[in-house]
Amino acid sequence: MTDCCGPGYASPAEAMKAPAEKLLYTIAIYTGTGIQKPDYLCTIDADPESETYSKVISRLEMPGIGDELHHMGWNACSSCFDDSSMARKYLIVPGVRSTNLHIVDCAADPRNPTLFKVISGKEIKSKTNLSAPHTVHCLGSEIIISMLGDANGNAPGGYLHLNKDFEIVGRWENSMGDIKFGYDFWYQPRHNVMVSSEWAAPNTFMPGFDLEEVGHLKYGREIHFWDFEKKEPKQTMYLGEDGLIPLEVRFHHNPDSSHGFVGAALSANIIHWWKDDAGEWQWEKIIDVENEPHPEWPIPVPGVISVILLSMDDRFLYFCNWLHGDIRQYDISDPHNPVLTGQVWMGGLLGRAPEVNGVQVTGGPQMIQLSLDGKRLYVTTSLFSTWDNQFYPEIRTNGGCMLMVNCDTEKGGMEIDPDFVVDFGKEPNGPSRCHETRYPGGDCTSDIWV
Amino acid sequence: MADTVTITLTNRDNATYQVSPRRPLLETLREQGVDLPWGCEYGGCITCAAKLTEGEVDQRAQVALNNRQINNGYVILCVARPEGDCTLEVGVESHDTLYRNPFLDPLADHELKADIATPKDAAR
Ligand code: FES
Repeated sequence: MTDCCGPGYASPAEAMKAPAEKLLYTIAIYTGTGIQKPDYLCTIDADPESETYSKVISRLEMPGIGDELHHMGWNACSSCFDDSSMARKYLIVPGVRSTNLHIVDCAADPRNPTLFKVISGKEIKSKTNLSAPHTVHCLGSEIIISMLGDANGNAPGGYLHLNKDFEIVGRWENSMGDIKFGYDFWYQPRHNVMVSSEWAAPNTFMPGFDLEEVGHLKYGREIHFWDFEKKEPKQTMYLGEDGLIPLEVRFHHNPDSSHGFVGAALSANIIHWWKDDAGEWQWEKIIDVENEPHPEWPIPVPGVISVILLSMDDRFLYFCNWLHGDIRQYDISDPHNPVLTGQVWMGGLLGRAPEVNGVQVTGGPQMIQLSLDGKRLYVTTSLFSTWDNQFYPEIRTNGGCMLMVNCDTEKGGMEIDPDFVVDFGKEPNGPSRCHETRYPGGDCTSDIWV
Repeated sequence: MADTVTITLTNRDNATYQVSPRRPLLETLREQGVDLPWGCEYGGCITCAAKLTEGEVDQRAQVALNNRQINNGYVILCVARPEGDCTLEVGVESHDTLYRNPFLDPLADHELKADIATPKDAAR
């Protein structure tokens, strides 16, 4: 980073040269666990030279209980690199059940973040008729957040627009078109495009997963290509059975590229899209994870790809099969022809790796975050309180855990690091569950170049 | 309608509370110091579910429960109003049959949520 500039890095290549992360911010929840305590943001020491390496060094409790902290995002990223008035200083930490937005100051003392402001769910619902915040992206000096429901938890919700002082501007989008559901989104301004995906209405997914509701079209199976400047959807791709419950959306970090990917959680497929020579958007299925039979269950178990991410150089795609229990690394140098280069197991329902680094892994690999240099992948095991309770009921007593995977960025390959483990089963207030992770200097899912 | 009804919480040492039948149980019990889980407060997220073992509630506003959960006695406290004296088991301790693995234990058509369920005799 140079002194002249705003947050982030001039380019993905510059980001890869940044110093290694020394702190991690990770969400931990008590919602749905039976422990009547607020969810909290943990700060974890990731400096191997430090005495408290691989330990939680501070905990910031939210003001109320029942938020279900889930995803979070920075107030500013490399999209503000040219704006020296901006700084990556605040994490926006939404509660998906309460709709409260917690603005956390991570800059004053990075080892002890403090609560700066709360925008109450009540205010958001009354001003915008939106609820259930999910993905946070900053957009120059503005912030947009996908909201999965209206104030009563019905789909499709919309997008909440905040200014840089965290005031509600209103709805970001001019139209939701025919979009049925919301979830994740990513934009690529040089192509004037945003792509959004579909989970379900909050009233459908929050109480838990009824597989039968998929057939009743209560879950998503489409992705949407937006005219980013006009803030309205332009084209919908119907993915059908290949794209049941398309969740995490990732464009290449290279701002000139039109290639992007989405993980279809229930179909356990990776869908790739790109703009062809005629300027038309195309999509194809590039990876298909087979369902696995379970000896005692009538229905084979899908992988459930709950997350995907791309390395900063766009060479590797990582994803987790939360129910099977594996994390995979694919070389996507040719995005039409991915090559499997690494795979590790932790937890999962197939019983392949019940214990790792002396900790019983309850849940499966779920949220992942990759270091800017692409070498360290941090993994947590909880998905969503009610879904955890369905698939991994022992997580109530065992809590979640965080592990680190060392990634070979030359030949490809992955290995679980034997020295890093954070056992959230041993938290001072009782077993909690860990979810998304971010680093103070930005990471592989936070920064977009304009 | 009676001014108050009696709510007994079996897993809180059978403690009893007098509450108004006109307001949701989550509110009236919390006001009297009962520590209960909640999330959305509009009947959509299931966090506040409790098990009703005696009595009746009006929970028409809930949209979180499927018919199997309702048949198992679950009620959504943030919208449920008691229609008389009720006995409840509350908190996550009452959630033993609330969650199920859908690959192990599928729902029958009539057990889906009310808006998509097929009545039992029409199911096949
Ligand atoms: S608090 Fe969400 S259903 Fe009652």
